[in-house]
Amino acid sequence: MRLAYVLRRLLYSALAFGISVTIMFAILHFMPGDYITQYLEAIYTIAPPEVVEAYNHAYGLDRPLIEQYFSYLIGVLQGDWGYSLSYSRPVLDVVCEKLVWTLVLLLPATVLSAIVGIVIGAYSGWKRGSKADIALLNGMIFLRAIPSYWLALVILIIFAFYLGFFPLGGYVSLSALDTGIDPLDVMSHAALPIFTLFLFSVTGIYYLMRNSMLMTAGEDYIVTARSKGLDDPAILWRHAVRNAMLPTVTMIAFQCARMLAGSIFVETVFSWPGLGMLTYEAIEVRDFPLLQGILLIDTLFVIVANIGADMIYPFIDPRVEVGS
Amino acid sequence: MRSFGVTPHARSSIRVWRWVTVSGHNVALYLSLGVILVYCAIALFAPVIAPFDPFAMSGSPLAPPDATHLLGTNDLAQDIFSRLIWGTRATLILGFLGAAVSVVMDTIIGIVAGYYGGRVDEVVMRFVDVMMTIPAFPLLLVVTIFFRPGIYVTAVIMGLFGGLNGVRIIRSQVLTLAVSDFVVGTKALGAGDGYIMGRHILPNILPLVGVKFVTSAQHFMLVGIGLGFLGIGDQNLVDWGQMIERASQNGGIILGLWWWLIPPGLAVTVISLALAWFAYAWEERINPRFQVMRV
Repeated sequence: MRLAYVLRRLLYSALAFGISVTIMFAILHFMPGDYITQYLEAIYTIAPPEVVEAYNHAYGLDRPLIEQYFSYLIGVLQGDWGYSLSYSRPVLDVVCEKLVWTLVLLLPATVLSAIVGIVIGAYSGWKRGSKADIALLNGMIFLRAIPSYWLALVILIIFAFYLGFFPLGGYVSLSALDTGIDPLDVMSHAALPIFTLFLFSVTGIYYLMRNSMLMTAGEDYIVTARSKGLDDPAILWRHAVRNAMLPTVTMIAFQCARMLAGSIFVETVFSWPGLGMLTYEAIEVRDFPLLQGILLIDTLFVIVANIGADMIYPFIDPRVEVGS
Repeated sequence: MRSFGVTPHARSSIRVWRWVTVSGHNVALYLSLGVILVYCAIALFAPVIAPFDPFAMSGSPLAPPDATHLLGTNDLAQDIFSRLIWGTRATLILGFLGAAVSVVMDTIIGIVAGYYGGRVDEVVMRFVDVMMTIPAFPLLLVVTIFFRPGIYVTAVIMGLFGGLNGVRIIRSQVLTLAVSDFVVGTKALGAGDGYIMGRHILPNILPLVGVKFVTSAQHFMLVGIGLGFLGIGDQNLVDWGQMIERASQNGGIILGLWWWLIPPGLAVTVISLALAWFAYAWEERINPRFQVMRV
């Protein structure tokens, strides 16, 4: 059962990745205009047909479509993700390097929003209809309605530009040129982007946790706990939260995909050198191979996050064994 | 349903408090509906309301607000107020068209999967699971950059890529309906599957679909304007994302020109908030148990 489950999980993951690759290939193939011609137009005003033909042959673009597809697929699996036009480096190298910086933001933001979201969501759902609940709920609806790029800009203007508490952007100060990268310095640069991403993602976890809590509050074992004479906080934190947070944990993985989209805006606004800003740069200079690489790494990221959530689940809920 | 923690005394004050907030259905519902209708009216009558052509140079560049230019002018000497008014159109098109596409798709898939159940359901849901793993926004970016579609096609693509998460909610509702007495009874009368799905199941899930439509519209509005912010919006139109991008890139922040930077962002936030509120109040009205999970 367990092995079968892991295999099935791997199969679905591979399928998702395969679909991503296939979509990439389809887009490349069906895009308006000719890839080579566009590429050569950087060198020639009008590319001579024989040069185009030579390039097509060199890159195997004159071979049958199915053959091209498989050579593309095999290339991707072997780590050959193409060559970035703007960085003049292999796409995989660039993307992996930037992924690290994105994780510096995403991991703390995810952990922070998970903890805060679960705690206030649980409280809000438990005290359903109270002033605190309604205030929290309205606050969260309001927060969720603000577009992330706008939120990032406003936070940047207030805390970095007017109040000057934090740097305006980047990941290290200029002094890093002399003294090397100082972790504290990086942290002060990361603080505002992490805070923005946290605000962006906490609302989703809050909603889920609150909804889940509303269901849990009516369960029999809660009534039992109450009739045993336990006080309210004990029931809330020991019994209700532990059960209500289960669906939330799985959704945190889905939340990751949303965070990736959010990080494009947040990183761009704060000039943070991660995948998000790389996406923006790739868009600006129309670096197609790089964009595809970004999409592939994003897919991988979500797949890994999902598998991770699955693996964590049994630790939170002892009744569940992986795969059952 | 009520929380145990609320005393009767507390309830009366809460009732007043609720009247002005989300949980008091009426005010929230009608206020947000009012805002949405006002936006629709602005979009419809944009040519009448806007004093200037949004693309024309209508004064000196970077002028502060005055009587002729209510919100001043941008770096290209275009009237910011007129651009704001015209931008309403793009926002509503992106949001509502995207939502329509995704909701129609979700409803059809959800009904079919939930109604037939068994193997069909299994295959469809696994497919949805797999598709949900592919990050929709980066995919949308890649496709928009490669094909450079206009606003309508963008909205449709957005709906197709970003919409599948509604299938789960609709399907679970249909699963219960499919085994309910009236459906089984209709089947016994000899009604066809198509007839049952269209005439009996669909009307029963319409309120749910409606709520989903509003939340999706909010989502796609933010996404669509985000595309403009990243500089890949439809260049033939004014949209608020492009306005924010222009203001933040060309001196709006550094020069502290708030009348350039703030209004488009505020305009998005207000309509987005109205939609969120409307959806929430409506959902509470039709479904007090909050069966719909919002992610």
